[in-house]
Amino acid sequence: MDSCFRRNDKYCFRNRNYMSSAILQKPLRIIVMAQQTSKRPVKATDPAWAWAAYKPSDSAPWNLARAGHLYRRAGFGANWGELQQALSDGPQRTIDKLLKPKIDPASFNRELDQYESSASVDGLRAWWLRRMIQTPHPLLEKMTLFWHSHFAADAAKVKSARLMQQNVQLLRSQALGSLRTMLEGIWCDPAMLLSAAADTNRKARPNENFAKSLFEVFTVGPGGYTERDVREASRAFTGWFVLRSRLRYIEREHDDGAKQIFGRQGKFKGDDVVRVVLEQPATAQRLVRKLYRFFISETEEPDARVLAAPAESFAKDYDIPKLVGTVLRSNLFFSPAAYRRRIKSPVEFSLGIIKGLEETVSTTQLAKDLSKLGQNLYHPPTIHGWSGGRHWLNSSTMAARSNLALALLQGSGPYGAKLNPWLITQKYGASTVESAARFLVELFLQADPEGVVYRTLLKSAQSPADAKPQDRLRRFAHSVTTVAEFNLA
Amino acid sequence: MLCNRKVHRSVAFERFVLVALLAVFGFERTFAALPPAAEWIPKNAVISLEVSNPKALLDMLTGKEATAAVTALPAYKSLMSSAQSQELLTMIGFIEGTLGTDWRTGLAKLTGGGITIAICPEEIFLLIIDAEDEVMLGSIHELFLNIARNDGRGEELASIEGVTAWTFNGKEAHTIIGKRFVLASSAEGLKKVLDLRDKGVGENLTSKASYQAARQAAGPDSAATAFADLSLLKYVPEFSALLEESGGNPLSALAFAGIVEALRESSWLGLGLDVEQSSLVLRASVDGKAGGSSSSAGFALPKKAGQGVLPNLSVPRRLAAISLHRDLHEFYAAKDDLFPERTSGLIFFENMMGIFFSGRDLTSEVLSQAKPEIRLVLAEQEYDAAIGTPQVKLPAFAIIFCLKDAEEFDIVAEEAWQKAVGLINFTRGQQAMPGLIIDRPTQGETRFTVAYFSAVDVEDKSKLEQRFNFRPSVAMPGDYLIFSSSDGLARDLVDALDREMKSSHEALAGTHSALEIDAEQVASILEANRMTLVRGNMVKKGRTQAESEAGIDLMITLIKLAKQLKLSAGTGKDLTQAKLELSLNF
Amino acid sequence: MSYTRRNFLKGALGASMVLPFGTAMPHLLTSSAMAAKKRDDRNTVLVVVQLSGGNDGLNTVVPYGDDEYARNRYSLRMPTKDLHKINSYIGFHPRMGAFMRLYKEGRLTIVRGVGSPYPDRSHENAMRVWHTADPDNLSRQRGWLGRAIDNEWAPTTTNAPAVFVGPISRPFALNAGNVIIPSVRSAGDLVASHAGGSAEFSGANADKSLLSFVRQCRASGYANSRRIEAAAKRAANTAKYPSFGLANHLRTVAQLIRADIGIRIFFVELGGGGIGGFDNHANQLGNHCAMLHQLSESTAAFVDDLNGDKLLDRVLLMTFSEFGRTVKENGRRGTNHGNAAPIFLAGGKLKGGLVGTHPSLTDLDNGALKHDIDFRRVYATVLDQWLGFESRLTLDKQYKPLNILNT
Repeated sequence: MDSCFRRNDKYCFRNRNYMSSAILQKPLRIIVMAQQTSKRPVKATDPAWAWAAYKPSDSAPWNLARAGHLYRRAGFGANWGELQQALSDGPQRTIDKLLKPKIDPASFNRELDQYESSASVDGLRAWWLRRMIQTPHPLLEKMTLFWHSHFAADAAKVKSARLMQQNVQLLRSQALGSLRTMLEGIWCDPAMLLSAAADTNRKARPNENFAKSLFEVFTVGPGGYTERDVREASRAFTGWFVLRSRLRYIEREHDDGAKQIFGRQGKFKGDDVVRVVLEQPATAQRLVRKLYRFFISETEEPDARVLAAPAESFAKDYDIPKLVGTVLRSNLFFSPAAYRRRIKSPVEFSLGIIKGLEETVSTTQLAKDLSKLGQNLYHPPTIHGWSGGRHWLNSSTMAARSNLALALLQGSGPYGAKLNPWLITQKYGASTVESAARFLVELFLQADPEGVVYRTLLKSAQSPADAKPQDRLRRFAHSVTTVAEFNLA
Repeated sequence: MLCNRKVHRSVAFERFVLVALLAVFGFERTFAALPPAAEWIPKNAVISLEVSNPKALLDMLTGKEATAAVTALPAYKSLMSSAQSQELLTMIGFIEGTLGTDWRTGLAKLTGGGITIAICPEEIFLLIIDAEDEVMLGSIHELFLNIARNDGRGEELASIEGVTAWTFNGKEAHTIIGKRFVLASSAEGLKKVLDLRDKGVGENLTSKASYQAARQAAGPDSAATAFADLSLLKYVPEFSALLEESGGNPLSALAFAGIVEALRESSWLGLGLDVEQSSLVLRASVDGKAGGSSSSAGFALPKKAGQGVLPNLSVPRRLAAISLHRDLHEFYAAKDDLFPERTSGLIFFENMMGIFFSGRDLTSEVLSQAKPEIRLVLAEQEYDAAIGTPQVKLPAFAIIFCLKDAEEFDIVAEEAWQKAVGLINFTRGQQAMPGLIIDRPTQGETRFTVAYFSAVDVEDKSKLEQRFNFRPSVAMPGDYLIFSSSDGLARDLVDALDREMKSSHEALAGTHSALEIDAEQVASILEANRMTLVRGNMVKKGRTQAESEAGIDLMITLIKLAKQLKLSAGTGKDLTQAKLELSLNF
Repeated sequence: MSYTRRNFLKGALGASMVLPFGTAMPHLLTSSAMAAKKRDDRNTVLVVVQLSGGNDGLNTVVPYGDDEYARNRYSLRMPTKDLHKINSYIGFHPRMGAFMRLYKEGRLTIVRGVGSPYPDRSHENAMRVWHTADPDNLSRQRGWLGRAIDNEWAPTTTNAPAVFVGPISRPFALNAGNVIIPSVRSAGDLVASHAGGSAEFSGANADKSLLSFVRQCRASGYANSRRIEAAAKRAANTAKYPSFGLANHLRTVAQLIRADIGIRIFFVELGGGGIGGFDNHANQLGNHCAMLHQLSESTAAFVDDLNGDKLLDRVLLMTFSEFGRTVKENGRRGTNHGNAAPIFLAGGKLKGGLVGTHPSLTDLDNGALKHDIDFRRVYATVLDQWLGFESRLTLDKQYKPLNILNT
């Protein structure tokens, strides 16, 4: 039965009732990706190969593992139905749908905007998580979260839920839009200005905080600008204030003299600074590098040669969905160099469990628990956002992840019994605890773990033998979602 | 349901329900009249509960009005359509068939003579039920015993004290003597009860002085009474810990003064429950008094005969009202004893009072100005359409003091209040937030001060921010000093106090705390905030909008079943007493 | 919560799931212990106690020998006879007997006249000064301890290096960019409920892969949890703490030190973090008394607890407050915001005694004491000499350390 994974036999899994089929009656060793990681891929450093569109082949079949990988990176994990649909649709159609879903998400997002309209910041956190769980367009929310960490505005500094809501709405509106439009919105976004301590920009005392963040954090990065660029750019932003929670432009406070930024000269205003900074190749390079880390791998720094082509292309139009599409469709994305090469953020970790089990839980509680795991939405720790990667994990956050998975799955307490692994396994045709356990490993891990881990896991589903199936499945789901592998995206 | 222990507990609970049901439907042999059930309860019982008139309670809780009210609930129908409910209904139907009567009548006949429950040391639990109908008792016991036998656990035990005994689950033991059904949590427990039949006076609960006193205080004619031996209960660590917990929070120390202290001093607690028309009245008494001048709760106790709280004030749209007898000066002077650990809030409070009252000593020059009569009122607000309506509609609240020397202190209070408004405005101004505007309108003959936010530059007046719920006001009619969160409530209170001053009103002697909650108004303000509540509930519970709406609507409907809740506490000659009165809306 | 978790463990998991983890533990412990050795062989611990609101140093360590004290403190003056006299000039507040004992035992050092060269009289800014250790740039993104922790972080770090213990939100000093620093109310908050799925996996090879890193974090998460539980049991019977909030938090700190789970920096707080606390503008006498009593008794209980367990030599406790108060009392029997104040250090490796000179009560800066020692010198001392961190990386320049530690 191993052949099912190795070979390009996607139909293996199309049978809704597959749990009762013979496929999973004996232990599987499903190691497509693992096998490949043992040999260093030669091609990963070849830019042409790296960015060419992935086409399923015998050595790189379109299978459950790759479908799971795609949904973890381009969304917050998938449920069984989505994985099956992806297998039957193939990679291109699946990615098309992730980029532009069949159902227009606009009405869903309008409804959610309405729900969160009078919420406090705590309420906003809860509504955003709910949006991530229920959205018909997960990639949009994933990218919004990316930008929330990139243009990191902290509600504790902004002190206004309404402004934070506007800020994230701006990020969402351009999350899969244009970086140019995004930056044109960001430099005059009241929450951003308050968070960067740049809410007062007087002609006589230009505030350098925003210009510095813009260059250092949002665009060209350290070394890509000079002190003078900051000084001159901050003059371009003079005249703009946040007063009584509103953006105000006071003409006489604007310095309309000539400025020189990145060697360009002119009577620059805010949008001009954006134009000039987008002319710098370093901006596109830096963003592409950051997106590489977000979508492909955070284990090693990518070769500059690999990034050159997408960076050049991005610099032409700053079209975000085009870039994201290229990345998601690429050979590199579906190669071992990307597979399980990221550590899940707390949001990805928890939503992976929740989405797999097809229910909406208390997101008020989830937002609180995620802050204990280090990801307090609307409160990034610094203007650099969340460092991510290995920084997510240490002994205490791992203990907290285990406790969160337990709280979600145990069927009582603040999350109640909304998540019910046994019910989901039943829905997809499992009839025994054993077949249900196999199903959960498929669903959550695509059966990735090495043989010994896999076998030990499955064995643990046997005990305690006297417990009810749904209790055993709850416990087993906790085991599955706390193995090391589940923490890798 | 996940863990075994819980599963066991739930099985145990089902068994308990079974046993209790069985107990209710016991069986009967004809004997001469038995002594009161309490004489069969061992003297060392820690807690006892006697329902001497179950019919009165049953009539109220399962009577036509109540049934009509409950079955009219939309939630009732959906609840009843669940599988579990269907199972229960089938079972009830089966029992009704066996007994040949409807369950209401059956229940009344099986328990009509009274129900007595007791908990004794060594985890012995006792239940005695006196039935009216022996045939019914017999058949229902037979029925349940057969079910238990099929389950492999029910059996006849060796006779205890010459009486046939059975068990349903292998642990409890029960028997039937005359019309009386007696159940104990163990065979030894049952033996203790049966022993008492012959031992007679001196060994049973009725011979205990504290029990007699508690019964007396609870009202021997009540539909139900309960007794707790506090001197024994204090050996239970959880209970004593509860009493020891000192009031770390000044406000709770102030609010609950006299109650914890009284419990600490007491050796018994007596409860009496009565049904009066459509009200349930629960009276609680303990023999301890929150002792005299040495007690840290002395500030809550009326000092002279005839002293006590003033009647609660009535205003339109009132949600709740509290009337307290608290000597603030005495309270604050004892702060070192009451809260040795200073809370941050307390120190901030003192800093602010220092500013507002220009360095006057808080204890001896400010708080001493207030008489110990303090009242609070909470009311739903009416909003002026011209100003606008906040999206979240918070209730208005007010505190009413009575001053010893209003002529002298009124101006001091006014100055303090205006300084507070000034400070708020200054702070908000620093943060570039809009401030309050002070106005001096009149209500009747009283000129008062209100501070409000202007909504002139707000476009959408139907969804104002929360701050528009607040229009802080201070008014001083007669000797009274009103601090109110809204001018509307301040006006209503000026009128209410005016009425009170014109009529003769007397303090409720001996009462130190009195609370009234108006359920219909509570339902009304919840309805006004329905959308906010529904949205909060959606993310709090992970529900859909429809699910949350159903939940919130059910809560509102249930609240509407009640009309008013009244709670009062005070000291009598030797006792500390509390009375809870719940009037229902059937 | 923990009760239901235990139920879950017992009821649903059963012993079989715990066992495999048990067998894996020795391996994990040795490997993480070795990893720790390689990075830094020190295991010293810093405990920072924040006194929120601005502590009145003059009524804490009272210069009774200076007539100016009595002249300026007409209603708040401490009677000389009640003071715990340190020398002919100063003495501890009457309610600080426990501090006096620690001082005599050589376990308490008073650093006098500590402050900032750019004093700020607003709570928020002054606290920001102490939290960022950068008076020039208060909008700095990370706190001084956060930066120190970030600097020490390595890709192999699997233990949380710092923790805040208390009911308020985590003070900015601990704001880090690269490390997630937990905020707890009790040691139990750091405990993983059980070893579910820890059918792990002796094959956890020590390569540098991401998977291997996650496995190590996970293993130390569970191992640390069991150590915390064991330490909590050990300490429960012996240690005596007064029933104050601060004492409870320090008891938790002691438990976590005992558990030995790699935490180097602890942060606790007295005063509520925001408004109030030591900010005694009115009726200072009684309120300040109560605060100092809590500080003194709680700290002494903590020191005694650790000393009884022979752990005191590893521990250094440091207090700080955002500012001292004005020399002259205000009209409301209180004092206003000032500048310099003493810092207390407690521990087993201190030289003890007094450090620095007492600030003059007449040469004032707008009514407040001038500082003698820049607070960053104290920070540099604890970073360089105590924790073995390079203070220059955190404080941007090298401050001259104080000679206060026995090496």
